[in-house]
Amino acid sequence: MRRSSFPPYLVVGQGQLLGFPEADESPLTVEALAAALTDDFAIEFGPPSVVHGADLDTFDRRLGAAGFSLHHLSDPAGQQLVLIPPGAHAPLTMPVTNAHWPALVTALPAGAVRDELAPLVTIRALMVLDERDHRIRHGELRNEDQKILARLQLIEQAADAPAWLSVNPLRGYGGDTRRAVRLLTAAGFPPIRPVQVALTRNDTGVRQVRIERSAPAITLLVAAWSEHLAVMRANLPGVLDDVDTEFLHDFRVALRRTRSILKLGRAALPKDVSDRWEPDLKWLGDLTTPVRDLDVYELGLPEMAGWLKAAGPADLQTFAVQLRRHRSAARRTLVRGLRSARFRNVLSGWADVLADLAGPPPGQASGLTVGELANRSIGRAYRRVVRGGADIDQGTPAEALHSLRKRCKELRYALELFAPISDRAARKRVVADLKDLQDVLGRFQDADVQKQTLYRFAEQMREAHAPTKALLAMGELVSHLDADQQRARGEFDRAFARFSRPAGRTRIRLLRVGR
Amino acid sequence: MKVLAMYNIKGGVGKTTTAVNLAYLAAREGQRTLLWDLDPQAAATFLFRVRPRVKGGSRALLTRGRPLAAALKETDFEGLDLLPADFSYRNMDLELDDTKKRTRKLGQLISTLSGDYDMVFLDCPPSISLVSENVMRASDLLVVPLIPATLSLRTLDQLTGFVADAGGNQPQVKAFFSMADRRKRLHRQVIATLSADHPHVARTIVPALSIIEQMAERRAPVPAFAPRSRAAICYEQLWAEIRPT
Repeated sequence: MRRSSFPPYLVVGQGQLLGFPEADESPLTVEALAAALTDDFAIEFGPPSVVHGADLDTFDRRLGAAGFSLHHLSDPAGQQLVLIPPGAHAPLTMPVTNAHWPALVTALPAGAVRDELAPLVTIRALMVLDERDHRIRHGELRNEDQKILARLQLIEQAADAPAWLSVNPLRGYGGDTRRAVRLLTAAGFPPIRPVQVALTRNDTGVRQVRIERSAPAITLLVAAWSEHLAVMRANLPGVLDDVDTEFLHDFRVALRRTRSILKLGRAALPKDVSDRWEPDLKWLGDLTTPVRDLDVYELGLPEMAGWLKAAGPADLQTFAVQLRRHRSAARRTLVRGLRSARFRNVLSGWADVLADLAGPPPGQASGLTVGELANRSIGRAYRRVVRGGADIDQGTPAEALHSLRKRCKELRYALELFAPISDRAARKRVVADLKDLQDVLGRFQDADVQKQTLYRFAEQMREAHAPTKALLAMGELVSHLDADQQRARGEFDRAFARFSRPAGRTRIRLLRVGR
Repeated sequence: MKVLAMYNIKGGVGKTTTAVNLAYLAAREGQRTLLWDLDPQAAATFLFRVRPRVKGGSRALLTRGRPLAAALKETDFEGLDLLPADFSYRNMDLELDDTKKRTRKLGQLISTLSGDYDMVFLDCPPSISLVSENVMRASDLLVVPLIPATLSLRTLDQLTGFVADAGGNQPQVKAFFSMADRRKRLHRQVIATLSADHPHVARTIVPALSIIEQMAERRAPVPAFAPRSRAAICYEQLWAEIRPT
């Protein structure tokens, strides 16, 4: 059986699926089909209609990864969403009107399609990844009683695609349809197995770089930066259009990694590179922070509502409105910044630097190898975490824990950066312990920062004469966060002891110098 | 799943045309619908252009465990499937008599499809028999077409009595006048007499119309080939009046 790409929504039906690509030697036309089917069957086709098909997924392809495909079909009769679960012969369909993409799943009409999609896509927006028009003639295969045996779709030949026929038997008529299919096969239209059209978007994940310990360190740095720059560029349109919150999140993660590598790689870089770019990249980080912070609050609102005991979710309405207002203002600043000449210069200048550093010879670089830089960077980052952690006791102010969290992030990025040359098992164990510690520190700091922010919001709400209930609800949130922070603080000693135990030190040594 | 049986002791009163048209209307409004043609004459089967052929006959379905799902035929109309009849159905009484729980067998078989359909229509043969008893027990609603004749009231009374005596599940009974001809004085009189506040008689009257007779020629439900005809409107009104909620 031949295989060929075919839009899945055009062939998935209630029964057996069959498709016929255009035979090489004879065109697939209504006349050719009628001639092949002899006197036992009759076929009828209506006039062609244009169907617009759009393939939808999230930017990070959550549906595709789970084996689903989602399509928005429009023809003169109306519009519908078609969701094809993995391995299903029967798609879920839902009529839609005036659907605009990108859209969050909450914007879709209630029903089985939305219920199926919601846990898969969560907070990511559905967007169009590919779209095309098909000229389709709908028809029927009938017997001598003029009973319909199968529904037919003749997808007419286009510039870049051959003509197709899909045959979808009615229930109870599989045998008759198979007989007709055999006649078509004998006439030179062999069945093929439809496979989904490959989507054209690039992979958005970060690829692992392959490199040796003895390779110049600058090569690894440039490769990692190039990946992060690509991620930033890929996410930028989604940030500007405010498609969903995760575009900004992914943009910031790539930026943070870029900045960390700038610090970690300082010894291997020409001096002016770090000095020149650290301030600009910090500016970019600061530009994106306010919106992200507000996103975290907005995304967390349903969870926060669950913290309330005396107050109810409705009491957070004033806070939600306040958040939206602040976010709108922060986004205006962000978009202005991202459309500014400074931003354009930062991005293009940074790309130029990467191109320069990648070109032989590596300029005024130090000549350090990847192995040497790994030894220095991982060792230094590890020592900074251990020293910082050892200084913390019950009386240590919160700032010291915040600072330790930053050091942990640096170590994490160092472990990621040098992953291509490091022992996988050792790295996995170190990262597991480090994640544990980061989680405790993260909860501690997030609760601390959120408490302060909620105080500020509550103050503004009070000045704006917000209802008492709304202020009391804010008090409950602060109280919950305070308890959370205390819990995290209580878990610190155990997490740090686990991270800094001798076995961890041994593994770090292995990661620094290799086997 | 709701089960509606088109039933009358008498033949030629419009059971099949009612079953075909109402099943079509149910499917058209989005209900997953099945019509089981129980009449060995297989008129409903014919009207949907399906061949009157049941593999293994009714015996295979009733006594040999052949699943109903294996005998289903999709009609030309979306959401509407048919269980066809063939001449072997003339022995259905005898075959039911050979089964355990002989008055509940049809209901048991229908319940195997409860996840697949919202509405099941039964087009019944004209008789009082074991098949009829099965239909009573399986149905939520008996739809009784009545020709406006002097004996109609007696027929309806006999039927409601039969339902009351059947024990077990007692379906609701809703009769309606079918093949009514207002030019006939007798029809007008019977309709006037019986319609007045009779709890079992629907307000909708389906007249004798040539377009309904054309179903046999067109082999399709009236609302499908003549959607604006008076007959189609009458069936829509009837469906609106009796459809289970």
